[in-house]
Amino acid sequence: MDEFERELREAMERRPAPPGLKRKVMERRWQLRSRQHRRMVWYERLAASVVLAGAVGGAVAWHHAAEERRRGEEAKQQVFTALRITNHALEQVSAQLEKQDRNKE
Amino acid sequence: MAGHWQPDFEQLVDEHQSMVFSLALRMTGDRGLAEEIAQDVFLELDRHMTKLESPLHAGFWLRRVTMSRSADALRRRRVRGMDLWVQLEEKHGVQMEECSSPETARLAARIDRLLATLPEPQRAALVLRYQEDLTPEEIAETLDAPLATVKSHLQRGLKLLRAKAATQLKEYIRGV
Repeated sequence: MDEFERELREAMERRPAPPGLKRKVMERRWQLRSRQHRRMVWYERLAASVVLAGAVGGAVAWHHAAEERRRGEEAKQQVFTALRITNHALEQVSAQLEKQDRNKE
Repeated sequence: MAGHWQPDFEQLVDEHQSMVFSLALRMTGDRGLAEEIAQDVFLELDRHMTKLESPLHAGFWLRRVTMSRSADALRRRRVRGMDLWVQLEEKHGVQMEECSSPETARLAARIDRLLATLPEPQRAALVLRYQEDLTPEEIAETLDAPLATVKSHLQRGLKLLRAKAATQLKEYIRGV
């Protein structure tokens, strides 16, 4: 290393940082952290709302499906009842016809 | 070993603020911009605290990020067409107050001014070599550049600086 390089090294020593640098860094860091915290809280609320909406939607859909099943079952029972009545009526008609046939003989 | 060292953010800012600010200042020549870069670098450090493995790693990381942010700032300024070092004399006025003696301060200011006329890669290599006392290998690692390129930047930069100093500093010394 020659004289010029030695002078260069001497002239290029580190400069002191501005007096308020650390304070400004710490303030910005605090602001960033509180902003991140607020954002996190907002995301948590959003996630909770989505879960709640999903649960309510699921419950409504389940209730709707259950109601559909109940109505279907009711309709099925009505059809069976109608078939039973018809069957009973047909049996009575059949019995009367057999009775009339026997009387003719 | 990762995870064994527990870095303290405030302590790191205390230890390295002068280094980070000086690198940014010498690369950009603008105190305001250098302070802004230094703040951004430390905030980025805060986000990367868990990845730091040792005090040496922290220093290396800070140098690397500062040089990279300074280069980005210079690029943005070039795009915007702003001329750096316009208010150089005024800035040196401020720097002179910070140095030990007025003569050293004036010489440092002149050196900084000459340094500012060098191409950016040569300036970066010289700043890391003479301000941070890094070896060419460490500079290559910091700038993520091939060692041969760094050595070439150092040689050319020093030669250019020497040539400029031979004329301008002589005039300055005669003038003092």
